Amino acid sequence: MDALANELKAKIVESLKLQDVNPDQIDDNAPLFGAGLDLDSIDALELVVMLEKHYGIVIKDIEEGRPAFQSVRALAEFVRARRPSQ
Amino acid sequence: MNSLFITAASLVSEADVRAARLGSRFGRLDLASQLALLAVEKLAADFDGLGRERVGICLTAAAGSLSTDAAYWNGRAGVGGPSPTLFAYTLPSAAIGEIAIRHRLMGPNLCFVGHESDALSEAAHLILRGEAAACLAVFCHVVTPALAAMIQWSPAARAGALLLQRLDTGLHRWRENDRDIAAMCSLLSAR
Repeated sequence: MDALANELKAKIVESLKLQDVNPDQIDDNAPLFGAGLDLDSIDALELVVMLEKHYGIVIKDIEEGRPAFQSVRALAEFVRARRPSQ
Repeated sequence: MNSLFITAASLVSEADVRAARLGSRFGRLDLASQLALLAVEKLAADFDGLGRERVGICLTAAAGSLSTDAAYWNGRAGVGGPSPTLFAYTLPSAAIGEIAIRHRLMGPNLCFVGHESDALSEAAHLILRGEAAACLAVFCHVVTPALAAMIQWSPAARAGALLLQRLDTGLHRWRENDRDIAAMCSLLSAR
């Protein structure tokens, strides 16, 4: 059980205001865009804001974040690698 | 079939929005778009039967998108900046887009900011000019408590929708002086 992945699922649901989506039901490996949660380009920008707000990670170029937004697992790895040391 | 009839009417409030379940993406809409979308949903209109490419939308927003504009502006000081999602709703016509997307309506549309009286008569004239076979006349009035304090208006969160068609019968025959959409929605949706 990856605590960070679970935390990210909750933050995705909260920041994107996804109704009737239980964070526990989001598959760690399911694509976030195009299928799976079926997110779009505005959601990608909202996730960029979420990462800065909650994890202090600044993404200046959306291309930089593209690999991170492939799945919750990829996002968790990205956050681990990029968040400022505490 | 030379008469225009209002064939469906609805009126919704913020309480209706909280209880609404219109898919997982409904939550990301701003309140004005949620209200307008829900008002149209409650008409239970058969858009397939009307021909989706021939259904117009006329929307009036008495306070424009000011409540959403203010919320977006207030978010600029936060870490990461204001919400990109909210930015998409800083136009009063955004609700028209949401209605058109959900119901795949491809007819003409118009958005009015100011008094609601223009929307119903303009909807009627779209049909009379042959530009639409049917038309939604929607009013949306949202003044959040935060905006109300800024502009000294009363807080409000309500929307209504009327479906206007050229038919032989309906809830109410449209007349040139029928302009107060909120009153008509209230009256007709109670039937």
